[in-house]
Amino acid sequence: MDASDNDDFSNDVQSDDDLGYYTESEEGKQDQGVSEAIWYVIDANEISAVQEKALQDVMGIMGCSRSIARTLLMHFRWSTETLFGVLAERDKDELYKLASVTSRSTEIPSCSGSQAEVACGCCFCDVPREETSDMGCGHVFCNDCWSQHCKVQIKDGRSRKLPCMGVKCGAACDEETVRQLISDDQEILARFDRSLLESYVEDNAMVRWCPSVPHCGRAIRVEGEVHCEPECSCGLRFCFACGEEAHSPCTCEMWKQWKEKCHDDSETKNWMTANTKPCPKCGKPVEKNGGCNLVMCTCRQAFCWLCGAATGTSHTWTEISGHSCGRYKDEADRRIDEAQRNVKRYMHYYTRWEAHMKSSKAEAETRTSTQEKIAALEDNTSLLKDYSWLSQAQEQLFHARRVLGYSYVYAFYMFGNAMFREEITPDQNAINQNLFEDQQQQLEAEVERLSGLVEMGPERIGKVEDQLRLQVINSTININKRLVNLYELIENDLLGSLQFSVGYIAPYGGKSTLRPDRATPTLTTPALPASKAQDEDLVDLTGLPSSEPALGRFQGREGLRSGDAAKRPRRSGSLD
Amino acid sequence: MVDLGRIQKELKEIDRDKTSGVTVKITGNNLQRLTGYVEGPRDTAYEGGYFVVDIQLDDQYPFVPPKMRFRSKVWHPNVSSANGAICLDILKDQWSPALTLKTALLSLQALLSSPQPDDPQDAVVARQYLTDNATFQRTARMWTENFAHKALAATEDEKVLRLADMGFTKEAASVALQTAHGDENAALELLLAAV
Repeated sequence: MDASDNDDFSNDVQSDDDLGYYTESEEGKQDQGVSEAIWYVIDANEISAVQEKALQDVMGIMGCSRSIARTLLMHFRWSTETLFGVLAERDKDELYKLASVTSRSTEIPSCSGSQAEVACGCCFCDVPREETSDMGCGHVFCNDCWSQHCKVQIKDGRSRKLPCMGVKCGAACDEETVRQLISDDQEILARFDRSLLESYVEDNAMVRWCPSVPHCGRAIRVEGEVHCEPECSCGLRFCFACGEEAHSPCTCEMWKQWKEKCHDDSETKNWMTANTKPCPKCGKPVEKNGGCNLVMCTCRQAFCWLCGAATGTSHTWTEISGHSCGRYKDEADRRIDEAQRNVKRYMHYYTRWEAHMKSSKAEAETRTSTQEKIAALEDNTSLLKDYSWLSQAQEQLFHARRVLGYSYVYAFYMFGNAMFREEITPDQNAINQNLFEDQQQQLEAEVERLSGLVEMGPERIGKVEDQLRLQVINSTININKRLVNLYELIENDLLGSLQFSVGYIAPYGGKSTLRPDRATPTLTTPALPASKAQDEDLVDLTGLPSSEPALGRFQGREGLRSGDAAKRPRRSGSLD
Repeated sequence: MVDLGRIQKELKEIDRDKTSGVTVKITGNNLQRLTGYVEGPRDTAYEGGYFVVDIQLDDQYPFVPPKMRFRSKVWHPNVSSANGAICLDILKDQWSPALTLKTALLSLQALLSSPQPDDPQDAVVARQYLTDNATFQRTARMWTENFAHKALAATEDEKVLRLADMGFTKEAASVALQTAHGDENAALELLLAAV
């Protein structure tokens, strides 16, 4: 799906104005000064160019070598803004010191060469001066020792900021000198260069490798807010803040705990506490399978189910031989109740989460087959038919389905009385839960409706489809609105009201993520008449000071999520 | 390949300087296993002690730090009271190829006189150092007297000789003793297992 697709859709929407859904303006609701998340995909072969640009920036302004520029940038996590900010506050020497850079501005006096031979401080041999090097900090060693030192350091993964050999010197070695010293070993050299290159991604707070497996080789750079869910060109959507799969509206913390919970057996343990008793003889957990409270373990030990103590084997209606336990053990019972309740609660959320994930998979298959069918139709018929409404709907459905799934994980933690116990009173929690569940239910209903409609799509395509088309578009817009509402509720009322704990979630795609294709300077303006707002939007975005055309392309499909043209002026306004 | 030239030069230099308070002897036959001796610094609880240090040199020495560990038991916040492991920056990430065995041993001596309880190797000792310094001093002194006297170091040599009498080479005997942390019987078992 490309830019024109999206625009086709928004135009579709406009032409369907009489549906009544679209006209509700979202403007005014959204002005909360949320910083915008913008992201770029960097292809594997572009990393070097992107890095080079940052280096050139620094080299140009500081008038320093590439090596120094790189060391400085590594120190400041590749943020030129921070670097120049520090430069403005302090002077160059201090900046260099911070990043353990030694500049060659001060020539080492002994270099003028009164002695022909120097004692190397490492191998303790006397070597001719021309066979020695130093890294600008004045520590002279023979080239053989330097070479070995560099190779050991590079092998140990310390290519970046490779330290000088001097005692407690710590100056970063000049990368050109290092290259010369290790030039006899191509493998090490390659490793060194690769490490320096990858520093741009790995040491950079605003860039992350795409977490795809197998790795697609691309990296994502974000600007502004790191809590966002970019989509790589390989199709993977992930949470930039934690590097895991896209999980909003869960916070990263919730998702982490959920994953652990699903993997470890803490729930199994809870189930065991609630439903089994250890045999007093062999200790194996025993589950009761009949009505009588006299239980027999497989090891032939009989025991009382009520108190867990060993008994004889015979019993009557009222007593078990050699045993009586009528005393009430409040504490133990409460623990069992609690465990039972927890398991039930977990299962409630887990089954729903899992069901939505499964639906999502099934819908993805429908989507593929539909797409094929559409492609075939578009190839065959001479009639110019536009099926973007269907693919947009499927895109929206895919997204909404996932959000719906994750919303159960979110609810599990949000209303579970564990994560935010100190901050939310039980009463408030009940109100919150009601509010949330209302929204969730509405979204769920609409998602199921669209899912049903979309499934009909492939059969009805090319036949009587007008009715379906309207319904699908309606439903798609509805979902978008419900998603916006759900996110608003979560961001503003539920997580936003927290004072002590921090809960950031990636904002809803339609609200904060810039429609990437819009910002591409080379974007061909949609052939269809664009609204005035859109025009302004384009101008503003191409004029972004740091959008760095060299970086290339905004990528991804935000699609219908931002199918609300009315919002665009707001967005362009806050980008300045 | 280990830089034998450099190690030999280092050993010569240590031999020449009799006043430094540190010495190094060769343990194995390939210059990669050495034994260092550090005199306890004056005016400390370690005064009068004669501390034995196991030294192992990696193939890449001096470009990687030497592995050092106290064989004598030492009561010190930065030394493990159980196995003699040492927490010292220059033996880890602050190592520089321009440092030598002698400087490293001298740093150990300096460490003995100025413990760094904020970066402890042995938490129990460090806590005692901070909360009950008098007891710490007493314990450290007692350990020094019991476990780090010169005679004990001499008995180490005797152990080597005794093992050598059983038909093993001196080098093999001292390597085995070093591996067995000075336990003569364990060393003998190691030697027999290797036959």
